[in-house]
Amino acid sequence: MSGCPGSKTIDFSEKTNQEGSETGKRPSQLRQWPIQLHLVSPMAPYFQGKDILLAADCTAFAFGEFHKDYLKGKSIAIACPKLDSDQEVYVEKIKALIDDAKINTLSVMIMQVPCCFGLAQIAKDGAEKASRKIPVKQIVVGLEGNILSEEWI
Amino acid sequence: MQKVLNREIKELITAYPEVGRVLEEYGIGCAPCSVGSCLLKDVVGIHNLDPQKEATLMYRIEKAIYPDRKISEPVVDMTKKAAPKLITYSPPVKKLVDEHVLIKRLLALIPSIAEFTESSLKVDKNLILGCVDFIRTYADKYHHMKEEDILFKYVDEKAEIIQVMYKDHDIGRGYVRQAVEGAEKNNKTQVKENLLAYRDLLTQHIKKEDEILYPWIDRQLSTTQVGEMFRKCNEADASVGDELPKKYERFIVGLEEKFLQEVTK
Ligand SMILES: [Fe+2]
Ligand SMILES: [Fe+2]
Repeated sequence: MSGCPGSKTIDFSEKTNQEGSETGKRPSQLRQWPIQLHLVSPMAPYFQGKDILLAADCTAFAFGEFHKDYLKGKSIAIACPKLDSDQEVYVEKIKALIDDAKINTLSVMIMQVPCCFGLAQIAKDGAEKASRKIPVKQIVVGLEGNILSEEWI
Repeated sequence: MQKVLNREIKELITAYPEVGRVLEEYGIGCAPCSVGSCLLKDVVGIHNLDPQKEATLMYRIEKAIYPDRKISEPVVDMTKKAAPKLITYSPPVKKLVDEHVLIKRLLALIPSIAEFTESSLKVDKNLILGCVDFIRTYADKYHHMKEEDILFKYVDEKAEIIQVMYKDHDIGRGYVRQAVEGAEKNNKTQVKENLLAYRDLLTQHIKKEDEILYPWIDRQLSTTQVGEMFRKCNEADASVGDELPKKYERFIVGLEEKFLQEVTK
């Protein structure tokens, strides 16, 4: 099958490798509202000096331990680099988060499909435009919810 | 075996030289270490081998110590030298690794400088004090201070490996003092020997940091700590100004022009 891998139909409902336990409650680690990148203000108190997770929309659905392993302790903004409009605004917001909200770090979580790397590019562009420098990390999630890579960029 | 795990590495290698050779094969160069008081279990832990490799290594160490004992071999045997894996560093640690590059450029010139000193009528005091200034200001004040005041604070400072690093820094400062004294007294041998000793010490020291210590620290840092350390290192750099690293890079370039050209001539 050809076409865009970002929207290619794949069915892995037969997946049997489902180790893990369902015991215990998994409380939400979300500590803010709103979360969509167009809706949030970089001046919101929950961003000031924080570690920020910039997550592609699909990641939280794909990765089972999203709250516990990545959202916990961080503030979040979500976006889709394929479908969202006015993405120049995103670059400016990232820049403002770094320069004005003086965030500590930025972790960009994306899906492995090629179009999703656009979000990492937005983060890089924003970080480059900013006058402050901070560490930026890229986390790539596989379609079946596994972490493919995690590295500082 | 539990007892062996808690023994100091140097003592083990002295008693069973084969252990040193096995470690060497796995890229763990404890044999030439200046202190060697790390415990075997920490030495193995710090190198982050994959589980299979670690099992094989422990098996071979046990075999080396108790050749007559019946020990079951781990499933897959991987006696081959560990393939060098690509190390990635967090941004603040990467900056420290990058600073090593300029220090290593000086280390590379030291044999030529030592030879030049030997063959000169008298010690070129300006040259030696210039190198000493580089070591004291760039390597020690600018670089080692960030390690000591910032990086090492993120791990247990009492850990043996950190103590070894402190000790290396101190021994290095001693060699530099001796080299200065040699230059003042016009003692060519004293200058030469101490510069060469500094070179050997720092070469090993930087290798340990790049390959073992920094990755070990990086693995323990949380994302928040990486951001915080990045900020602290930037503040430390800002306090000395942009000009300092540039000035010392120009100094090294000048030395390279003088000494490397002589080699290629
Ligand atoms: Fe050091
Ligand atoms: Fe160092």
